[in-house]
Amino acid sequence: MKVCVDYDKCTGLGLCESLAPEFFEVQDDGSLELLQTEGAESQRAELEEAVRACPTEALSLEG
Amino acid sequence: MVQTRPAYDTVSVGSLEFWAKTPEEREERFRILRDERPVSWQRPAEGSMLPQEDGAGFWAVTRHADIQTVSKNPKDFCSGQGVMIEDVPPDILEAASSFLAMDAPRHTQLRKLVSAAFTPKQVKRIDEQIKDQARRITDELIEVGDCDFVDQVARKLPMWTIYEMCGLPAERRSDAAHAADGMVSWSDEDVRQGKEPAELLNDSLITLINIGIDLAEDRRAHPRDDLMTNLVQAEVDGVKLTDEDIAAFFVLLSVAGNDTTRNTITRTLEALTRFPDQRKILQADYEGTIGVAIEEFVRWASPVMTFKRVATRDVELQGQQIREGDWVVMYYASGNRDERAFADPYTFDVRRTPNQHVGFGGGGPHFCMGNVLAKTQLRALFDQLLHRVPDLQGGEPVQVVGNFVDGVKSMPCTLNL
Repeated sequence: MKVCVDYDKCTGLGLCESLAPEFFEVQDDGSLELLQTEGAESQRAELEEAVRACPTEALSLEG
Repeated sequence: MVQTRPAYDTVSVGSLEFWAKTPEEREERFRILRDERPVSWQRPAEGSMLPQEDGAGFWAVTRHADIQTVSKNPKDFCSGQGVMIEDVPPDILEAASSFLAMDAPRHTQLRKLVSAAFTPKQVKRIDEQIKDQARRITDELIEVGDCDFVDQVARKLPMWTIYEMCGLPAERRSDAAHAADGMVSWSDEDVRQGKEPAELLNDSLITLINIGIDLAEDRRAHPRDDLMTNLVQAEVDGVKLTDEDIAAFFVLLSVAGNDTTRNTITRTLEALTRFPDQRKILQADYEGTIGVAIEEFVRWASPVMTFKRVATRDVELQGQQIREGDWVVMYYASGNRDERAFADPYTFDVRRTPNQHVGFGGGGPHFCMGNVLAKTQLRALFDQLLHRVPDLQGGEPVQVVGNFVDGVKSMPCTLNL
């Protein structure tokens, strides 16, 4: 599945990073970097958790 | 069409009499409102510095789901006209609240400058130092013995952490933290000691602004690796921040960094005293349970009880007609006991999952920036306390009377070592 970030909504809080650090990393300037764009099926639960935890609803999964 | 207002709700959640109650006693009223009138029209808040205009009141939003709705819709419910149940003059608002009381795009720009220091990666860098401080604080507690837990333990770690990040010299930290308390407890007569509410707020604000400006000037001349240095060097749209901007950041960080975590620590000890079986669960497998337990600490404490938004247009919520300009107050303390969102909400359950509490806010752009930092502190401190002072007991807490933070002024503790 594909991991999508809406950068207009993202505030760089990093809740996603604490739940799925292999996908998300907030940089020193406060911007979010997507480390991988494709998630394996085995990572779905972890990614869904990150999507749900995002307070600004900036994350989504496709596929 | 001009709509008439509903009558003021007979179940008041805005009076000083109400805020003087314990969280459990307040809950009796919240429960009625959640069940019967989830969005209720309330009399103007008491204990205010500037009374609201005649006839005005505010909407109280008490259900978990509605708090999220308001919180996630900043276009309809804005922060730029103030976030406390208080008519604060615009200049004070900006000086005291920084980006807390702003909307996009300015909110986004300013918040990012600070939030970069609070990401999981950055907090991890100071994790060892926080643990070290927690150890020292526990050493001192054991040395001192039975004491006031707030003064001896709860206030110390948050104060050390936020001011270490800012780079504030140790000798000014107590004064700054004391002034930060004044910013949120001016409706408490005991805290005011004869001063008027506006006077206490003003004195506290000036103290913090002066410390913030001193610190900013010092970092311009002597840059270091800390948050204040980052702020004096930062630019927004090619423009450096003013001293006032930076001082406002410092005020916000002081208030948000001290008070919330301190009160959560205190309320958690109170809960672990009341629910000894939950303490045992944590002690049996701390590493395995603390991550989930911390969320319950925050839900249970609900350290920020309310935040206000102002409606930017006429909007309906739970059948109530909210008008443009109306005050809409989210009651997080009530949302965190909502039976619709939590099974057995009155049970302190360190293994509660899921736990979608609104203790860090109901989502949206103002979600608590310091959540990772707060959780790191809670984890480090209770690791020390529960293992080294396993029978530590909290006594009767003495509360701050006010409508904003659930402040605990003091709480005796016994070590039972």
